[in-house]
Amino acid sequence: MKNKLFGLAFKNRVFLASGVFGFGLKYKRITNSVGAIFTKGITFESRKGNPPPRIFETPCGLINWVGLENPGVDNFCIKILPKLKQLKPRIFVNIAGSTIEEYIKIVERIGNGVDGFEINISCPNVKEGGVAFGQNTKIAARLVSLVRKKTSLPLIVKLTPNFCDPLVIAKACVEAGADGISLINTLYAMAFDIKKKRPLITGGLSGPAIKPFALYCVNRVRDIGVPIIGIGGICSGQDAYEFFLAGASAVAIGSVILREPYAPLRIIKELKQLMG
Amino acid sequence: MIRSLKIQRKKWFNKETFALEFHLPGINARPGQFFQIQVSDHLEPFLNRPISIASYNNNKLFLIIKIVGKGTKVLSTKEAGDYLTLLGPLGKGIKAKRRTSLLLAGGIGVAPLYFLAQQFYKNRINFTFLYGTKTQEDMILKWDIMRIANESIFITETTSVKTTSGNKKGTVVSSAKELNLRDYELAYACGPKGMLIELQKLNLPIPIYAFCEDFLGCGYGLCLGCAIMYNGEYKRICEDGPVFELKGIDFEE
Repeated sequence: MKNKLFGLAFKNRVFLASGVFGFGLKYKRITNSVGAIFTKGITFESRKGNPPPRIFETPCGLINWVGLENPGVDNFCIKILPKLKQLKPRIFVNIAGSTIEEYIKIVERIGNGVDGFEINISCPNVKEGGVAFGQNTKIAARLVSLVRKKTSLPLIVKLTPNFCDPLVIAKACVEAGADGISLINTLYAMAFDIKKKRPLITGGLSGPAIKPFALYCVNRVRDIGVPIIGIGGICSGQDAYEFFLAGASAVAIGSVILREPYAPLRIIKELKQLMG
Repeated sequence: MIRSLKIQRKKWFNKETFALEFHLPGINARPGQFFQIQVSDHLEPFLNRPISIASYNNNKLFLIIKIVGKGTKVLSTKEAGDYLTLLGPLGKGIKAKRRTSLLLAGGIGVAPLYFLAQQFYKNRINFTFLYGTKTQEDMILKWDIMRIANESIFITETTSVKTTSGNKKGTVVSSAKELNLRDYELAYACGPKGMLIELQKLNLPIPIYAFCEDFLGCGYGLCLGCAIMYNGEYKRICEDGPVFELKGIDFEE
């Protein structure tokens, strides 16, 4: 299996999904072992994130409500990116605007200093932008076409399967110029505090609990004509292999890293054994 | 650092609290630091459980665990000879300052403060250990604390406990009010959130360092799941703490 996607060569097809591994600057051995890192979502202004509780464990997974805490695009470019570029993997910056203009400004600010962008229109934990853009075919397509005009770098769109058909949105994004599709982002989820009789957390569900649904979604868009990055509860080489069978060209590892930081190394090894 | 470690010994203190001893040479452990224990080789429970260091001596690591939910319940079934995957030590922890100190432990919050107390004892720093639990059965490490503390005060909410300072019934906070705080330069507190909030309201005349706990995602600073509002900005309990000066914490946010 050749590791060439979007016209770029990758060390392998196991990537780090956005959000769980920060900017890859800690545990560099792991960052250096993967084909690409998708950074924590970057917004135009810095965001302090949501108040606690931000994490709640659920059967075979967790709900998070972090809310895109990040230092903003300027700090990212000045303080983080130079360090990140010294590492081996391809760098895809996950960008999350609250307006279409913000997405454009973030892409312009970062320029050509990275390997590509992942347009995040699927974060369920922010009020503006995020998942609302990813559920609306017209907005998603307009956003992609406008960002497309600003960059010649690979443009991947990270989609949501929350209350919309990812196939319809994916088609619109590809027509608008997207080079790839990442899916799935976390699922809408809640937990209640039965003593206080009120919600404990409302956020995004991730982990192996969502893997079967993620596989279904990837399989549904498999003929889209651009590479698909399969995401959702991958914890082993076998899980990753399933995503390839469903039509993914690469996979990204997320939640499992919380319980096992070295999981990407293990998954790469297991996958190699399975795929030969 | 991630390691698979054999449980050397297991000790039950009461029906819901037990200690695990591991042989682990060569770590630089500080009070407040913790280990993330992988509960299951399978994926359920999914997240690791953060457990404070209760003691680290002669390459022996003690972790004290109270059964509070499904993860700690599973851990309670592990026996001497079994292996557990541990990630750590994590967190910054703190260094025992050379100041006459007051330690305020509520419930299982005794574990990390016991580690701190041992550092005080080793470094001959004077300290008082005030420890409160709901019931007398909940009280653990009593004799170990009495052996090393210059003064120890034990208190429960349900029954009177005979102590060096007479019979007591109440809470850590009610006892702290009765102390002459001019005798101390610093305080360290670990216990339920409610206790820390009450302590904060007391506005004690000395700085209090609070050992915070929370459900953690990763435990090593990447997932940003364990936020705490501290001096106007979110900090990570795991990586930036878990010890913070109490007056800077905003429990409302």
